[in-house]
Amino acid sequence: MRYAILITALLGMSSSACLANALISPGPHAAIAQSRLSATPDGEWNRLSRRDGKNVELWTLDGDALNKVTFFGGIPVGRPLLREVDKKNRPLPKVTSNMLITDIPALLESTYRSQFAVNQLQIETQEPALLDGNKGIRFTYAFARADDEVLRKGEGIGAIVGGQLYLVTYEAPSLYFFDKDLEKFHRLIATLKL
Amino acid sequence: MKALALAMAVLAGFATLEPVRAAEDAFRLPPYAHAYEPQNVDERGLWMEADERERQIRDSALRIRDGNLEAYLRDVLCREVGQDRCLGVRVYAMEIPMFNAAMMANGSMEVWSGLLLRVRTEAELAAILGHEFAHFELRHSLNGFKNKRGASDAMAWISVLGGISNTPVGGANLSLLGSVYRFGRDQESQADLLGLKYLANSGYPANSASQVWQTLMAEEDASALGRKQRPRQKYTAGFFDTHPASFERAARLAQEAAKLPVGGDARTKEYQQAIAPYLPRFLSAQVKLNDFGGSEYILSNLSQRSGWTGDLLFARAELHRARATPRDLQLASQFYREAKTAGYSNPDLDRNLGLSLLRNGQTEEGRAALSSYLAAYPEASDAKAINALLGN
Repeated sequence: MRYAILITALLGMSSSACLANALISPGPHAAIAQSRLSATPDGEWNRLSRRDGKNVELWTLDGDALNKVTFFGGIPVGRPLLREVDKKNRPLPKVTSNMLITDIPALLESTYRSQFAVNQLQIETQEPALLDGNKGIRFTYAFARADDEVLRKGEGIGAIVGGQLYLVTYEAPSLYFFDKDLEKFHRLIATLKL
Repeated sequence: MKALALAMAVLAGFATLEPVRAAEDAFRLPPYAHAYEPQNVDERGLWMEADERERQIRDSALRIRDGNLEAYLRDVLCREVGQDRCLGVRVYAMEIPMFNAAMMANGSMEVWSGLLLRVRTEAELAAILGHEFAHFELRHSLNGFKNKRGASDAMAWISVLGGISNTPVGGANLSLLGSVYRFGRDQESQADLLGLKYLANSGYPANSASQVWQTLMAEEDASALGRKQRPRQKYTAGFFDTHPASFERAARLAQEAAKLPVGGDARTKEYQQAIAPYLPRFLSAQVKLNDFGGSEYILSNLSQRSGWTGDLLFARAELHRARATPRDLQLASQFYREAKTAGYSNPDLDRNLGLSLLRNGQTEEGRAALSSYLAAYPEASDAKAINALLGN
């Protein structure tokens, strides 16, 4: 009986850990976004309990409106980046097998326009980059969501590995916040492993 | 309230009087007061909200400030409802790729880019602006507000944007869009009738209003088919719809328009000129909405007005490249080349042609196009990524 109570308590703890936001301590973290993706942050982050998709994980420092790192971990061909809110009327574009690296920012843009009513989004620089040794793309962008119209900047690194899309983005208001934490994001993505 | 009573009287006049009187009534517009101030606590509250919303749209990043678009829209409204009536109106053009225009109680009007992309003539634009203005003049938001407070009629407000926004808008968007004013079915009918009178008075073809709705219905069907769904036009107004079913509405508008003088010039050319500087970015936003059927319908509709111009062909190519089946990629390349022949000169054409060819496995041709993009635009922000693709 005591064991049963203990097990129930343990289960309760583990499930509440899944439901609540969690502290990401410095050091290695594996299976990010339920995928092969791992990272070794050198400082503390917070993982949000909210999931925007099956293979999507959100990290933040001060709250996702102020700085948000999104991990898209191995989105397979035929799947959208985010969970579709209204599949019938606002379907999202899907990952396709013959995507070029420049199609990765375009997919993110089209997804944002449908999902978040982002009516202005400019993809700025695009350059080749390696994601743990895999050929990919690094890009910057600027956008405003319709709900708050705050001008945000973003930076992302993505690659298609084994037919799956891996993409990590950082977004923050262009006023003050983006520059404040950009260096932390750069240090974080330098440790990404697949 | 007086305005509503008046509108009711006008409507009753339509129904009961002999045809001759009805025809005379068609030209009689409700009286209006310049520099009107809200009269009671409800109306003042409503105006305060509207003032706040107007401040937001005035300062919004989405407002289209460049060029003369807003001045043009205001001119169209003035031509439609008369100089004296439009004196106190402010018109804001917003870059939102959905079909909508709204006028608030305090006399500010917003017009979304999705509407400007879809209407084909100045007369169609005027029909919608006149309809919105009619809501304003009949003070529908006040009466709607009172209804809503009455709770018994709350049903009329539990609704989707369906009727006015042909792009279906999910719950999330509804809250994002904020205070888009929606009205009950009777109010819509009243505004339709008054809008028709403005049309008839201003010399635009009276059938423009019904044409707008027919086009929207066709687009919605095309959009559904593009998503492999059944066309979903409802041909009668549903219990929860605040807007009359589009079909009913188009039919009634056509019927009422037939009673009015045919009207003259739809001013297609003037509209085309006014919208031309903005067309590429409106098209680009539409193409990125992941609505193949609807976008394709809009393009072919626009091509009937102007023929397949470089801008339209480029957008058509982008649409196919985004869907990216082998057949689409082949068509995309073809349309990019046709756009070039038709005079589209932006270097992004070569880049997107190159990407389309490359994605379709036509490596040599693709590289050639990408090289000419880089040659024309060496300092492009994506030059490094394109160079990487060339090196692959």
